[in-house]
Amino acid sequence: MRVPLEWLREYVDIPETPEDLAEHLPMLGLGVERVEETGGESVLDLEIASNRPDLLSLIGIARELAAWRRREVRPPADALDDEDPPAASAAGVEIADASLCPRYVAHVIEGVAVGPSPRQMAARLEAAGIRPINNVVDATNYVMLEWGQPLHAFDMDTLVGRRIVVRLAQAGETLATLDGVARDLDSDVLVIADARRPVALAGIIGGADTEIHSGTRTVLLEAAAFLPASVRRTARRFGLRTEASARFERGLDAEGTMRAARRAARLIAQSAGGRVLRGAVDVYPGPSRRSAITLRLARITRLLGTEVPAADVLAILGRLGLEVRRDGGRVYAVPPVGRRDLEREEDLIEEVARHYGYERIPEAMPVEAMHPGHRPQRLEADAAARDALIRAGLVEAITVSLITPRLLDRFGLDADDPWRRAVPVVNPLTADHTHLRPCLLPGLLEAVRVNVSRRRDAVHLFEIGRVFAADPDGRPRERRSLAVAMRGGWLQGIWDHPDRGGEVSFFNLRGVLEALAAELRVGSLAIGAGGPGWLHPGRAARINLNGTAIGVAGELHPDVSARFDLPGRTYVAELDLDVLLDRAVLQPRFAGIPRHPAVRRDVAVVAPVSLPHAQVHAALRETVGDLLERVELFDVYEGPPLDPGQRNLAYALTFRAPDRTLTGEEVDVLVGRIHAALPARLPVAIRT
Amino acid sequence: MTAEIERIVAEATAALRVVGTLDELEALRRRTTGRRGALAEVLRRMSGMPPDERAAVGARLNEARAAIDAALDARGRELALGARAAQFEAERIDVTLPGRRAPLGRRHVLHRTLHEVERIFIGLGFEVVEGTEVESDEFNFGRMNMPADHPARDEQDSFYLGGAWMLRTHTTVVDAHVMAGRTPPMRVVTSGRCYRRDAVDATHMPVFHQLDGFMVGEAITFADLKGVLATFAREMFGPQTRTRFQPGYFPFTEPSAELAVTFEGRWLELGGCGMFHPRVLEMAGIDPERYTAFAFGLGIDRPAMVRYGIPDIRLLWENDLRLLEQF
Repeated sequence: MRVPLEWLREYVDIPETPEDLAEHLPMLGLGVERVEETGGESVLDLEIASNRPDLLSLIGIARELAAWRRREVRPPADALDDEDPPAASAAGVEIADASLCPRYVAHVIEGVAVGPSPRQMAARLEAAGIRPINNVVDATNYVMLEWGQPLHAFDMDTLVGRRIVVRLAQAGETLATLDGVARDLDSDVLVIADARRPVALAGIIGGADTEIHSGTRTVLLEAAAFLPASVRRTARRFGLRTEASARFERGLDAEGTMRAARRAARLIAQSAGGRVLRGAVDVYPGPSRRSAITLRLARITRLLGTEVPAADVLAILGRLGLEVRRDGGRVYAVPPVGRRDLEREEDLIEEVARHYGYERIPEAMPVEAMHPGHRPQRLEADAAARDALIRAGLVEAITVSLITPRLLDRFGLDADDPWRRAVPVVNPLTADHTHLRPCLLPGLLEAVRVNVSRRRDAVHLFEIGRVFAADPDGRPRERRSLAVAMRGGWLQGIWDHPDRGGEVSFFNLRGVLEALAAELRVGSLAIGAGGPGWLHPGRAARINLNGTAIGVAGELHPDVSARFDLPGRTYVAELDLDVLLDRAVLQPRFAGIPRHPAVRRDVAVVAPVSLPHAQVHAALRETVGDLLERVELFDVYEGPPLDPGQRNLAYALTFRAPDRTLTGEEVDVLVGRIHAALPARLPVAIRT
Repeated sequence: MTAEIERIVAEATAALRVVGTLDELEALRRRTTGRRGALAEVLRRMSGMPPDERAAVGARLNEARAAIDAALDARGRELALGARAAQFEAERIDVTLPGRRAPLGRRHVLHRTLHEVERIFIGLGFEVVEGTEVESDEFNFGRMNMPADHPARDEQDSFYLGGAWMLRTHTTVVDAHVMAGRTPPMRVVTSGRCYRRDAVDATHMPVFHQLDGFMVGEAITFADLKGVLATFAREMFGPQTRTRFQPGYFPFTEPSAELAVTFEGRWLELGGCGMFHPRVLEMAGIDPERYTAFAFGLGIDRPAMVRYGIPDIRLLWENDLRLLEQF
């Protein structure tokens, strides 16, 4: 809202400089976007909250200034020299649905001479950002800025039947609006019509056929109230936001129509001549009543935490235009016309607080029963998981949760892949944000791509965030996911083995996941061969926890890598983190330190390359049982003298009994059992 | 015989001068004072001498053995030191070569900020709760006193997901869920991603982060709101930080305020706050006559940018390691 100060001074005294105003108005809730100087005059550009249509008017702003410094407001003159015949004999008004249009006031002015407005009116409108047009239209805009009530002037001679009908349009009707656009209407659109056709979009814009022109002789002046939701919907539908619609949308008071109509009729008669027919046509089927709001002085203290003197309360509300009456600890206050936002006690308390000054309310600390602040287990587990990954050397990334399926296409997913059930956004803003992400990896790999494209080859990122899936029940399912991407060098400073360079492998990725599982104490992950088609077929793994599939890990398929512009090998994993967090144990118990010594023996197993280590490992455990404390694979060897297709797996076995020292003979028996059982269960030989 | 002994001593002394290694030293020891060395040979031949003469020669022989051994030991220590030194020299490394290290992981700067804010409120006795990013229109707007066609909805242009479902536009919606299921007093914060249909530019993303908090009790006032937020601001931005509460408008609070704090000589806008509107409390099943409540919603992205001097919000989402590794 642009407010020329020179114009505002007509309604209230303002000794302050524009700079003072710019500093203080925000303390009343009136945001000052900037102060402009045009032609020696200052114009304030104010930001108005959506609940205050009254502040889209100079009188409304004058009231705020009056309450702020306890001054008086001077409302504009609206006395009319109207003459017979009565307006009702010259024009008819009909409202088809009073819920959409509670009131319609029409004045008729005959014998006008359309021409330019007086210089002051034109200059003021221009300073306020409205283009002067002619002395009739300008008067309507002038009053709109004074009172906040939009008005419209029709050339009465173009209205068929000299009638106004406020009704919903019919399918097939059209209206050429003042902005030169022909608009197709239907039964959702409230229009002002004459006896035959729509002549204006109600509360938004007038029609070209009935506009005021240089030859106009008779004016029908409209001041009406419309249902805000109806104006809002229609304005959005046609992509039209006018000075009028911005005001109607916020909810105007039907009580304010008459005074604005009288004021505008007066101004038109003054500047365009003509005579105002007696009275106005006023269709107002259900007059709204203003009633008093009860304000308890004690409630002000209760809500604000400080006592505002009763005299201040009465002065503030009075200057804001409320009719106030005090009765002991209670104040009865009737809001002025135009302040429909004041409905209950709290609304009045806010008015008092604003003008008393938020800065005068002290700072206190709440006195309530003490409870220690805390986070629930799941959030603690979430924090522990992030922490574990960070300690494992990964950098946390955040990526946008809106994606495009084109990003998913890079994975070459099967038609029935769950990631294809991405939830579409009904009203996306851009083509790359059309769906909710069903997984984190596409976004994370984009982040990897960005880094690689900037010549950073070693990238080790993770993200923890929500992913979404469509659900037949309607509500999209939402889960917490974890994605990891690792590529390039790991250790820095490998200058003595430049050829090895510390490149990460699948096993770095696996190590990170194992560390995470260990840190959350969820038990060990079962990681077995196999995985989706977007992973390298020989380097893909499925991850299970206690028999539940929780994710996949592996080397990104070269075709997928290429689609992300990633040279070389990239290792990725995505896990359902909620499963891990549900089972996380954040308060471990001390397990004791073993009191009896352990015995270490090494066993070398020659096995086909195709036999997974996991099977040998499991067989070792099952063969020995509880006395086998630890199995550590410390060497894997292929090559001479082994046959091709064979490899040697060297295990360090740690034996320990909790209650006694194992003897060498006992351990010999256990190792002997391994020598006997392993070749019987698996296609392996034990090397001795 | 005495002459013999003197000769051995003289020879040993001379030989010791040219011994260069511990091995040569041991060989010399064997030749002189060893069990089969020259002195032992003298001793053996002494058995045929008369006893009084033997005593004198024996005394001289013991003297000579002690002197030679002492000289040998001294030389031996010298040689051992030399050998250690040679070994150390051979094992010398260039300590100025670069160190070898595994990478240190890092928290994202935005989560780092969120975590700091959350930690302060935990310290002020707040409980942290979690909400969902998918919300119903009913809760996101309706329970926040924004019925259909409310003009304030325009300021929170939303992404819809079909049916009644949408992406939450503020974390305040979580407050409504928590209040609906509990009896006061309550002191709760919640944080996470929110979504609004904003085009991407240097200061806007369709996804952003908020932290919301509220407190319900029988004696909660606007003064308490100011006290809690001012305490938070001083903890977060330093003890000299000043706070500014300006009237604002939110449909779910009455009175409402915009919160700003001083940071490096300028006002930094942190978010909105106020006393929960009685209708919001009523919808959550809380009697507004008995209980009052304050609520606040803080932006995280913008304060994080200002605090760490990050000029463009897109940098937060790009995950360029050259930025991430600075925090």
